[in-house]
Amino acid sequence: MVKVKIDGRVVEVEPGTTVLEAAEKAGVEIPRLCVVPGLYEGSSCRLCLVKTPTGRLFPSCNYRVYRDEEFLASTPDLWEMRRVNFELLLKFHRIECWACERKSSCSLVQLSKELLVDGIPVCSECPLPPSECLLLKGELCLGMIAQSGCNAECLVSGGECWGCRGPITREDVLERAFARYKELGFDVKDVVSKAEIYWNSAPGFATVKKVAERVAGRG
Amino acid sequence: MTWTLLDRCCEKCTHSLENPCPDYIECRLSGPLCHDDERCRELRRRRLEELRYGEKGAKIKVPMASCTLAMGAEAVYRAVEDSVKKIGLEATVAISGCYGLDFIDPWLELAAKGMPTAIYANVKPSDVPRILEEYFVKRDVGGAFALKEKTGAAKGEDKVPLLSELGFWAKQYKWVSRNCGVVNPESLEEYVASGGYRGLSRAFKLGPEATIEEILKSGLRGRGGAGFPTGMKWRITRQQKATPKYVIANADEGDPGAFMNRLLAESDPFRIIEGLTIAGYAVGANQGYVFVRAEKPLMAKRLQKAVEEARRYGLLGKNILGSGFDFDIEVILSAGAFVCGEETAMIAAIEGKRAWPRQRPPYPAEKGLWGKPTAINNVETLAHAATIMAEGAEKFAAVGTEKTKGTKMFCVTGAVKRVGAYEVPIGTSIRTLVEELAGGPPEGVRVKAVQVGGPSGGCIPASLLDLPLDYETLQSAGAIMGSGGIVVIGDENCMVDVAKFFLTFTSAESCGKCIPCRVGLRVMWSILDKITRGEGTEEDLQVLRQLAETVRSASLCALGGTAPNPVLSTLRYFMDEYLAHIREKRCPALVCRALITYRIDEEKCIACGQCALNCPASAISKTEGGKYRIDESVCVKCGVCYAVCPVKAVYKVSGAG
Repeated sequence: MVKVKIDGRVVEVEPGTTVLEAAEKAGVEIPRLCVVPGLYEGSSCRLCLVKTPTGRLFPSCNYRVYRDEEFLASTPDLWEMRRVNFELLLKFHRIECWACERKSSCSLVQLSKELLVDGIPVCSECPLPPSECLLLKGELCLGMIAQSGCNAECLVSGGECWGCRGPITREDVLERAFARYKELGFDVKDVVSKAEIYWNSAPGFATVKKVAERVAGRG
Repeated sequence: MTWTLLDRCCEKCTHSLENPCPDYIECRLSGPLCHDDERCRELRRRRLEELRYGEKGAKIKVPMASCTLAMGAEAVYRAVEDSVKKIGLEATVAISGCYGLDFIDPWLELAAKGMPTAIYANVKPSDVPRILEEYFVKRDVGGAFALKEKTGAAKGEDKVPLLSELGFWAKQYKWVSRNCGVVNPESLEEYVASGGYRGLSRAFKLGPEATIEEILKSGLRGRGGAGFPTGMKWRITRQQKATPKYVIANADEGDPGAFMNRLLAESDPFRIIEGLTIAGYAVGANQGYVFVRAEKPLMAKRLQKAVEEARRYGLLGKNILGSGFDFDIEVILSAGAFVCGEETAMIAAIEGKRAWPRQRPPYPAEKGLWGKPTAINNVETLAHAATIMAEGAEKFAAVGTEKTKGTKMFCVTGAVKRVGAYEVPIGTSIRTLVEELAGGPPEGVRVKAVQVGGPSGGCIPASLLDLPLDYETLQSAGAIMGSGGIVVIGDENCMVDVAKFFLTFTSAESCGKCIPCRVGLRVMWSILDKITRGEGTEEDLQVLRQLAETVRSASLCALGGTAPNPVLSTLRYFMDEYLAHIREKRCPALVCRALITYRIDEEKCIACGQCALNCPASAISKTEGGKYRIDESVCVKCGVCYAVCPVKAVYKVSGAG
């Protein structure tokens, strides 16, 4: 057995154990997306990077321990790197949580909450499946353009979203959301005036209005 | 068939492929060793002379390497053959490699007994008859570019300098490239005659452990970029218990502007084969691979030919030189992705998989090709190893710096008068290389920066030209040694545009396996693009820097790990240019198309109408005063008018003004 120290917590593991497995045993949480033990261990997502005390970085999913070693998994710079990295990954993700079945089982949604990354709408937390979306019933819900993180309290208690956590500012997401509103027969102007109630002085509201105008103008 | 040095001299020689003689190599030059016969010695002496002056006492060498071929060496070769026939010269026409001095391509080297060997630079096929006649018939070397030695017998000899006295040669330390341009790259005989395979013979006499010891003593570090001590790599591979082991020569040279590996492999391929054999012997491998770019066909062909020749004479195969060591080499063509130069991606490619790098550790020395211990060395490193084994570690370690011994080949391209590959001791300053060897920038151009280490290197500003070229100094200056490509950037270049150029390359070459490199480089590129269009903000610069740092530290392999270097180094040294683009919407070097305007100076304009004639957008019209003017609302900024104006009346402005 070898001793692995992760963020100050020591665990004893079999030689050849990955740092990620050791961290799980030690109760230290390390985010990751790509590793599926036995199936894919290519260290592609780079979210599980940990640091040695000398500052060298290794993906914890792939680095195996054969002697006593120490790692840091939660330093501010590691989290910052993970955030930037995750944001890059999300950049090319077609965010359309309102049409997605995964909802709370989605690791992108979970990570974006942990890393405070912009772009994931309240729909990701909505308890209703896409087929029962309030919008389909003609109720104007702001879930598609509102920042998630509230656990969709209003929707859970039977109401619609009012966007109290502020707007999403990622233009491509807004763009798809407004197109969806239009498609379902809502007037984009109505959406914006409902949003104005909470967002009138929100920094991102200008972007919302800009995108709304653009989508409305497409006839 | 003529007798060659590689053949047996008489019946007394005991050497055969089935029962090889351990002294075979030494016997070629200073033999015969096993018996004493003046005739056999005479045979060798005569053959050495023949190699030098040809079998008929006169020899014409035409360099045949990619660089000289591109400049028309093949036409020169044909012209030489024709004129030899026409004049009725008794001369041997031979091929050779290239000196790496691209500015003299194509050149001719003429040698005859009693004459100084003369080199003629920039030869055109039409010059050939005259040159041959002057040299061989009139015995006049007056028109030559340089001489290799002086004999005091030829006309005009005092007017022609010796090659070794010329500025770009004198400061070089020809160690690993000593044979480039000198020997016939397709002839094993010439390689042996020049002292080749002495290193392997010596390694066999020393044994594998002492061979590694010798390489360690020399202080040789990997010339592929990272600078890992070669002896150490070999020792770690040797110590692994798993068998079989493999050695690989990394000939997948992909940096734009770097061609030293191609030059070595095309001009002196046997040295690489010998080096790889020594590596195989030292680590205990019986199989070696040469991984070479398919886009460099001549390089691959020469290496393949060298392998076949070495096999034919028992220098590859079973029981090499009676040492009991079996070794063979396979030449593998790379599909040409930049990432294939990364060792783990290369291993995947050789295994027939997609060329994706994998996370290290385990390092290839522990788990490499087919999961077995593998030593991967760069072509130049292997050539160094062969030379060190022949010449001794002390001689190699005599030059260089405290931490890094020996020499390194650098390819200097871009804004210099003498583009070429130069071999200098490590620790030579960038200034010496750029100004003294490469001749500095052409007239009217000032050096603004040098990009050291290829697309993943960094831009070092002209103010730091006195920095010595060694691994550590370059790293702290924000560049890398890389393979040793040096691109000299003149003041007509915009540094933001330069950074964007390199990112265009690296982001396209990213294999896509890990996020930071695949997405990060693309996002960085789009920010740079935004800045060159004059739409950047100061916040963008912060994002750019943060992205660069993340991509650098979080990427899986060295491609992503070094790709942000051009951005980070230009941000560090040329912040003023970035800010000019952002704050003033001005491109100081007048390069970024969105930020410049073309105008015509009516004072200078001679109303020739060339600009209007060539303008693809019909944006130029005649004014009432008879001169020409550009309509800025129609102009597409293609720059044609700027290029065609015979009096340079078209000028560019950027920003307010």
